[in-house]
Amino acid sequence: MTYSPKKLLQVLDLKIGIPHPRRETLIIVDNANFDIGYGEMLGIVGESGSGKTMVCRSMIGTLERRGAKVLSGKVLLEGEDLAHASESTWKKLRGKAIGYVPQSALAGPNPVLTIHAQLAEALQKSEAKGSIAEQSKRLLDLVKIRRIDTVLKQYPNQLSGGMRQRVMIACALASEPKLLIADEPTTGLDVTVQSQIMELLKEIRQEFGTSIILISHDLALIDDVCDRVVVMHAGATVEVGSVGELAKPRHPYTIALNQSRIDIAEPGSELVTILGNAPSVGEWPPGCRFAERCTIRQSDCSVGPNHPPLFGERGTHQSACLHTELLEGTR
Amino acid sequence: MSQNIIEAREVSVTFGAGAHRVEAVKNVSLTLAAGEPLGIVGESGSGKSTLARVLAGLQPPTSGQVFFNGESVYKGSKSYIGEARRQVQMVFQDPYASLNPQLTALSAVGEAVRIHNKCDKREAEIKALELLKRMGITQLDAVKKPRQLSGGQRQRVSVARALSANPSVLLADEPTSAIDQSAQAQLLNLFRGLLHQGLAIVLVSHDLGVIRYLTHRVYVMKDGVFVESGDTEDIFNNPREEYTKELLASIPGQLGSAAREKRLA
Repeated sequence: MTYSPKKLLQVLDLKIGIPHPRRETLIIVDNANFDIGYGEMLGIVGESGSGKTMVCRSMIGTLERRGAKVLSGKVLLEGEDLAHASESTWKKLRGKAIGYVPQSALAGPNPVLTIHAQLAEALQKSEAKGSIAEQSKRLLDLVKIRRIDTVLKQYPNQLSGGMRQRVMIACALASEPKLLIADEPTTGLDVTVQSQIMELLKEIRQEFGTSIILISHDLALIDDVCDRVVVMHAGATVEVGSVGELAKPRHPYTIALNQSRIDIAEPGSELVTILGNAPSVGEWPPGCRFAERCTIRQSDCSVGPNHPPLFGERGTHQSACLHTELLEGTR
Repeated sequence: MSQNIIEAREVSVTFGAGAHRVEAVKNVSLTLAAGEPLGIVGESGSGKSTLARVLAGLQPPTSGQVFFNGESVYKGSKSYIGEARRQVQMVFQDPYASLNPQLTALSAVGEAVRIHNKCDKREAEIKALELLKRMGITQLDAVKKPRQLSGGQRQRVSVARALSANPSVLLADEPTSAIDQSAQAQLLNLFRGLLHQGLAIVLVSHDLGVIRYLTHRVYVMKDGVFVESGDTEDIFNNPREEYTKELLASIPGQLGSAAREKRLA
């Protein structure tokens, strides 16, 4: 739990909740722990509702808009704690140090603004040289949009899904951020467009050394483009490691996720699915929150109240499973 | 006598007129055998959804014909008249839009059971519960409304609704594109089980990975025409068209990376 200058961003024991005036605060993220290094591409996987998006919202200061807040823990960006930053600090930081590409490319851009106006808004805080027009052109060129002069005058509804997502990435890059967060950037887009967007993210990292967080539920996709992976289940990080390390997972949840991948499965063979559903927020069991769905569950797994922490040293292959010794043969 | 349960002959669909004329499907012919898992793959705008709607009886073709068990599907302004209507059912892409938000899963499926089986409400509910159970929806979840269910559960409720008619053909238009990986695995397992029971499934998708997993034969569609068709495994191992190669290389993970390496070599 120490600050390391080698890391761009560190999430330390983060706990996020939604306060309620009469009832108890609803905890939605508890035990989130991971780092992202300079120029690193980090994937965050987990089912819908596992807290991936909420953790990222804490990095861009938009938790409050959803009625949520950081209860404890830290989000350190080069040592500065974002988790407890004031709104005035955020006004300076937002859209500057960290760029955000939202989930839905189709709903992302403002429908009544031209692409030029969207970019102009994003460029407000830019310190780069040149007029807004020059900079917008440079950004669109960067995300490989052709016919730039035409596109600048168009509205989002005149563009395809892939083009819209490129525009969103251009907006996020406007202030030359150190970290780019892409929250399921290709959901609902064609596989061909998806692979183009992934190529683009890789090139951006290559050219500017930008660190990138890619949120996805598709492990195969993360395998292709990321260096390291964070696996989340019911608000906790359950496994962290490099893509290579995660090929030999040390948490039963990751094992099950791996086995449900159709790119690895034999055609027509039974796909392994995870028992039941992830426990709902507010109904988390004591101890390990995966225990009820786990095939190697032991009696001490559900001894609470806390979820097991990530074992092992930070930066190495870590797992929150209490019984990794039983995993042999389940992979 | 042909064993084809559905046959499309030289089907074209044109929307609009004049400058806005769009030829979504151009002179396409297709066959589906009873109990066969068939894939149609292509990008957005390739015409695959329009074709699926033509097969489902929802979109009359501008020209060409569709046959179901040798009988013409479109007759005048109607399609799938009588018994045939029950036999061909469709599941749509968006599980959020295809269920009535006011109805519980049980009443949504119960309604369909009642209409197709002409039984009373109690009987329909018992059958609906059984169907939902087969889809992995527990009694507890069956009384929930769509917004309380996950995307994968909603999609399985849609499948239960389609199956309530006891069809012989299920048309599925991008059924896995809006749900997460483990929900996708559940749905594909379900489809596999249905195939074992003799149901023919037409799977429409932009993801060749899903197509490879489930189907034996595939049509690759681009700009309204089939550019390639044949045995799924063959097309996977020896794609002839550049377009098919591109689709293959775009699949995330190990399948795609093999294709990407081949392309570079």
